Amino acid sequence: MRKLLEFLISKRHWFLFIILEIISFILIYRNNAYQRNIIFSSANVVTGQIASLSGSITSYINLREINRELSERNAELEMELLERQEELETLKADTTLFKGFALDSTEQSYPYDFVMSRVIYNSISYISNYITINKGEKDGIAPDMGVVSDKGVVGVVSTVSDHMAVVIPILNPKFKLSCKVKGNRYFGSMTWNGRSIYYANLEQLPRHVEFVIGDTIVTSGFSTIFPPGIIVGTVASFEKEKDDNFFSLEVKLSTDFASLNNVRILRNYRQKEQQKLEEVRKND
Amino acid sequence: MINTIFKGIIYFIIFVSVQILVLNNIHYLRIATPFIYLYFLIKLPIGISKSVTLIISFVTGLTIDLFSNTPGMHAAACTFVGFYRSDLIRLFWGKDLPEGVSPSYAFLGISSFLRYVSSFVLLHHIFLFFIESLTLFDPLFLALRIFFSTLLSIVLIAIVEAFNMEAVKNGE
Repeated sequence: MRKLLEFLISKRHWFLFIILEIISFILIYRNNAYQRNIIFSSANVVTGQIASLSGSITSYINLREINRELSERNAELEMELLERQEELETLKADTTLFKGFALDSTEQSYPYDFVMSRVIYNSISYISNYITINKGEKDGIAPDMGVVSDKGVVGVVSTVSDHMAVVIPILNPKFKLSCKVKGNRYFGSMTWNGRSIYYANLEQLPRHVEFVIGDTIVTSGFSTIFPPGIIVGTVASFEKEKDDNFFSLEVKLSTDFASLNNVRILRNYRQKEQQKLEEVRKND
Repeated sequence: MINTIFKGIIYFIIFVSVQILVLNNIHYLRIATPFIYLYFLIKLPIGISKSVTLIISFVTGLTIDLFSNTPGMHAAACTFVGFYRSDLIRLFWGKDLPEGVSPSYAFLGISSFLRYVSSFVLLHHIFLFFIESLTLFDPLFLALRIFFSTLLSIVLIAIVEAFNMEAVKNGE
């Protein structure tokens, strides 16, 4: 008995090793679950503070570039607004306008609004990448909200703490997004293959869909997370899938994840309602 | 003794923060990321017990994990190399080494030290990248990442060691 005890004590580092490895793998496993532990992520108070500090320092570095992009985007939107006004004018001129029609002001026709936020931590070097942003539960952010940049789709909110949130970007194998080629209604599923941060793959797109290289890929709007029509990227190349019934597209992402700085979080007022409804449907 | 602990804490703070704030953002061609914080584990004094080495390695890995949103990955890899550290040291320099000395160029010779660093870093990176690829397995890409990251880490550690004044002084 004493021999056994002595043996166990002399090999105690083995037990310690095994225990520590088990702890590590439990952490890894829990991280792979969709809902992640706040204590072990950069949305926790201490690590979040440091990430936020380093984020606020580095955010100055790209300021010139961001400024240029924003003013470009601004100009684009202004042009579009003018175009629409012009269109509206001609339409009004062509029709007899019914003055008595009033919109129901309590009903919001477009159930989305957005919150601006800054990226305080962003990883692109791993296979499972995450982004931390500086808005949290207190700003009305909840899990499953969509995140977009001024150029296109970024990802989906996964974990939320009081003042911070962790986002799963397109650059993460857990992220799946229903997308379509702009201008038609057939949709496919967007995933990332872990290779390049500039490309993702759109799979299961029916073979009779017509498109050319360079066409825009947008969100389909079939989930509660993103409204339809948000730009994801452009078609870079395509090939037939093995079973010959579907196309597999390589999509050049419009968001540049390497220089991500400001993002918007989309809030959908009807998300809960739709999810509840779909939940009921599943139970049938 | 107190001095060694104090020095260890300073090393820990310096190299972990350099890793988190600077090197975590480097991913050359999306392939290579250097992990300089291993230098802290490499420089732990010879002769501290295996259990202590394991705990130190685990805590170091966990700290890196907390800041890079990779719970458990670095902790697992560091615990793994921590476990084999004393065996590696013994493999390259035999058994009769004075206790309480940090491995360095001057003390152990450049080629032995580099071999020690290389095998240490390689073990760590293989383990780390294998765990990472559990989510998405891609053998060729995995091998590329291990190779280039290891290369980058070794070069960086070799440079840091060459400029580490304290190690130079101790060798005289």
